[in-house]
Amino acid sequence: MGSKKILLVDDSSTARLVTRLIFSKKSNYVLLSAVDGKDAVERAHAEKPDLILMDVMMPRMTGLEACRALKQDKATSKIPIILLTTRGEEQFVQEGYESGCSDYLTKPVNDTELLDLLKAYLGE
Amino acid sequence: MTGTEEQKPRPEAQDHEGSAHGTRGLTFDALRVRAQQLSLREQLERQHFLLERLNAASARLLQAVEQNQVFEAIGEIIGNLIGSEEVAIFRHYAADQAFSLMWSIGIEKETLQQFALGAGLIGRAAHDGTSQFQNRRPGTPLLLHESNLTACIPLKLDREVIGVIVILGLLPQKNGLEWADFELLKFLETYGAVAAQLQDLQKNSVTP
Repeated sequence: MGSKKILLVDDSSTARLVTRLIFSKKSNYVLLSAVDGKDAVERAHAEKPDLILMDVMMPRMTGLEACRALKQDKATSKIPIILLTTRGEEQFVQEGYESGCSDYLTKPVNDTELLDLLKAYLGE
Repeated sequence: MTGTEEQKPRPEAQDHEGSAHGTRGLTFDALRVRAQQLSLREQLERQHFLLERLNAASARLLQAVEQNQVFEAIGEIIGNLIGSEEVAIFRHYAADQAFSLMWSIGIEKETLQQFALGAGLIGRAAHDGTSQFQNRRPGTPLLLHESNLTACIPLKLDREVIGVIVILGLLPQKNGLEWADFELLKFLETYGAVAAQLQDLQKNSVTP
């Protein structure tokens, strides 16, 4: 069985770089990236990732909008989406779940927390 | 039977005790080794955690120098790696003790204007060239605009302070700055300043 593909969506190159570093040293996942929600929807269609890890606040299309779009489309509706956000308050988390996300992580991302969550969705 | 004989432990009891001591000794050693391994592993993971962030921060600064976006990059590093969306960066002009706002996010104009006057911890960071943390100075009276202040970090080129990073509130899920945050801020003190200086040199260089 090949390595699992994860689509990382974040407009911040710092965030993308840190996540890439975490993955490169501690996991065998293949990491794809997109820079905003619109880009994410396009890449998800083209690449069919096993999981999407997506920031909420992004230009052009937010993570919540992209999440709704992906969940409404049969081709991508089954892909688990984990939202990454700076806002951990109840109302923001609720909004995330309403958009169809499977899980929620707050920034700054904790390596162990992130990898444990990915393992729970994708296996070792 | 004499009293002495009575007090002698029975052979099986002695064996048992000896064995128990041995097991206890082994268990203790094993536990100690395990604790050392865990401690070492924890230390390595902590170092690894820090290196990942320093690596990302330095790569981001380098990228920013090329794009003339150093201050934005510093703000992004603080936002993503430390966890604050209330950041301002001021230039410091030592000759007249003046501050000029270069970049900010999430801070009201009036508050920025107050910081630009240079009073309080921002002035101390610029004057002493040392990072000022609000929670490390218990009993220090704070100015009104500093009520939500987390830190003032000088941007230093050797001893010259060319700017100050002001960090107000942290994200709600952060209880305070952690050890890796302090290391990252120390990194920004120097490398943030170098990147800003490089950007200036690049801007001012005359192309033939």
